[in-house]
Amino acid sequence: MFGYVVPSRARLDERENERFRAVYCGLCHTLGRRYGFAARFLLNYDFTFLAILLSPPDEPVCAACRCVVHLLRSRCTMCAAPALDLAADRCVVLSWWQLQDHIADHGFFAGLKYRAASWLLARAYRKARVAAPEFDGAVRRHLRELAAREEERCSSLDAAAEPFAALLADTADCVADGSRRRVLRQLFYHLGRWIYLIDAADDFAKDAKSGCYNPLRYRYGAEEDKLSDENKRALAQTLDASIRQMAAAYALCDCGVWTPILDSIFYESFYGIGKAVLEGTYRKPLPRAKRTERGKQEETP
Amino acid sequence: MNDPYKVLNVSPTASDDEVKRAYRELARKYHPDNYHDNPLADLAQEKMKEINEAYETVQRQRRAASGAQSYRGYQSGYQGYQGTQSGYAGSDPTLRQARAAVASGDISQAERLLNAAPEHNAEWNFLMGVVCMRRGWLDEAQTYINTAVQMDPQNAEYRQAQTAMNGEGYRPAGYGGFGTLANNDLCMRLCTASLCMSALGTGGCWVLPCFC
Repeated sequence: MFGYVVPSRARLDERENERFRAVYCGLCHTLGRRYGFAARFLLNYDFTFLAILLSPPDEPVCAACRCVVHLLRSRCTMCAAPALDLAADRCVVLSWWQLQDHIADHGFFAGLKYRAASWLLARAYRKARVAAPEFDGAVRRHLRELAAREEERCSSLDAAAEPFAALLADTADCVADGSRRRVLRQLFYHLGRWIYLIDAADDFAKDAKSGCYNPLRYRYGAEEDKLSDENKRALAQTLDASIRQMAAAYALCDCGVWTPILDSIFYESFYGIGKAVLEGTYRKPLPRAKRTERGKQEETP
Repeated sequence: MNDPYKVLNVSPTASDDEVKRAYRELARKYHPDNYHDNPLADLAQEKMKEINEAYETVQRQRRAASGAQSYRGYQSGYQGYQGTQSGYAGSDPTLRQARAAVASGDISQAERLLNAAPEHNAEWNFLMGVVCMRRGWLDEAQTYINTAVQMDPQNAEYRQAQTAMNGEGYRPAGYGGFGTLANNDLCMRLCTASLCMSALGTGGCWVLPCFC
């Protein structure tokens, strides 16, 4: 996934920020514990969000932990929990198949870095596949469908977004309770749809240059390397519709202690991030290598 | 039955006004308009029923405690959780069957019937829109419903679907009327700014790689 979904920090007090960070750190630890050091590089906000939605409504158990990045000051970290395990398994499986896609899409030299990453993650993937066999099958199937949509230059936004949306909906299958599973399936479907469309908008200029398939180009018949204002409005309308569907599903979930964080996401963040992407002011986090550098500089003054 | 105060999310010592406010907020949250042609409408309806019953119970208990005699029971105002109705006079047999399929939740069957229908009139477009809505294909749903309204502007059912689709949805107090491109709000800009800031790495650990 892509790491778009973060809470609106301005809405959260120190305690809530701390709680979100505890899940983020907890997921990172879980990835490391279950899948080795390399898997920690897969950590992103979208899976943190997923872990929160899969968590029970009660206050999580946390402990102070140190790590390579937080050597000097220990961080409050969510302890091992089923939701973190589920999110970590799904994170590894999905990332692995996305890597395989990248390898297939790029030539030998351009694909080298993906091959290297794939080599580093091979063991982690083999373990994750055992932990989540159904999800592994679902991801393969949905990503094949996605490739087919790209191949045929699909001009329907909904049809193009369907495979990724359905893939995320399948992450809810691990929930035992029937009606909660239904609610989360619906929520994750629209989360997937939103992420897919927002990613397409974010990559619009890049795809226009490289000639890669972008569903927005075919849906709106846009020729330039920028979406027109009218097309942006149409896209915003359908993004809003998905956000409202997510919020309607979320209203039916009892999320307990996570409510303030999730409220800020469902009632504000999604709109803010969408706006930033459409207006071109959204910055993706720096590439991992640069961030590591910066991290080191800040850790060792 | 669950504790009515818990359902309404207020303490048993809350004043009548506070109980009423809590009830109204929840009723707004689970209002049928927010679940129009939504696959989860049945769950929202259950929730609404639970809230109505809880409010009714609290009202009854409080009236009994204060000795009032003439309580007539609370009339719930929100009962309308229908998506698309099954019986609709005037539609041709295929469309009628498609409606029945939608109403029973068999979306694939409805789609098969609609794909086989020879004539694509306003009602056909409307039903296609409803099928797309239920699927989560919101962009196409919008197109179909708009077409239905264009072809038959007088039809209240089509217009209602269109209004519901573009409705604001529920937001708790304190969260303004946002839309992805609604440039109506200063707060929105502030939030976006704070988001960018954190993305650029000015603040805090979320930006650092967290190999904790």
